[in-house]
Amino acid sequence: MTVLAMVYQKLYIGVLIILALMLFVCLIRAVRGPRVADRLMAVNMMGTMVMVMIAVLALLLKEGFLVDICLIYALVSFLAVNVLAKVYIGVYEENYRKRHKYDDRKNKKGDEENGSF
Amino acid sequence: MEVFEWLRLIVGGALLLCGLIIFLIELYGVFHLHYVLNRMHAAAMGDTLGISFSLVGLMIFSGLNFTTLKIMLIVIFLWFASPVSSHLLAKLEVVTNEKLSDNCQRYSELSDLEKELREQREKEEEAEGKV
Repeated sequence: MTVLAMVYQKLYIGVLIILALMLFVCLIRAVRGPRVADRLMAVNMMGTMVMVMIAVLALLLKEGFLVDICLIYALVSFLAVNVLAKVYIGVYEENYRKRHKYDDRKNKKGDEENGSF
Repeated sequence: MEVFEWLRLIVGGALLLCGLIIFLIELYGVFHLHYVLNRMHAAAMGDTLGISFSLVGLMIFSGLNFTTLKIMLIVIFLWFASPVSSHLLAKLEVVTNEKLSDNCQRYSELSDLEKELREQREKEEEAEGKV
């Protein structure tokens, strides 16, 4: 093993360790985040860091196919964040409509009783 | 040729470390700011600039081969994907937060904001003129 190869390996492992620590910090944000958007944003950030980790691993192990996995991870992470955001918007609108339908009916009833249309 | 190898290591390592520093700034911003729509500004930085720096560093490490092309594909994909997911998250926050005006001011029309900014600027210019 030449000096250059050793330096490369040390650099890769150091970068992996730093990224792992930052991943934990992201996880803290995801747990603490007061709103749903906070959590989803933290998940998005974690996805980005895991992508860099997989790319570093591909060069460390000299396995080219790991980069394909990284690309697929990017696609899946994008899809997950978008679908979760859409689903939360849909659920919120559904609940909102249900709540306000009830309110509307009550108001209309009150109007009829008072005879003011 | 040994010199070129070392040069490649230094340039690639510097770019990779720049990417890590951008990630650190991102994390600092995410914990420093107080509201989701502000935090999103910090989070978008890592998604585009941070990963671009890191992956360009890795591209320099890997040299001219097919792996480099695939890593570039990831960077280009993220440039398109990250603004879309940020937009959707902001929409989620704006739609579902019922007390939005506690955290940020809303304008019904853009011209209202422009008018306010113009008035503010005129006031500042007046203050400067007096001094």
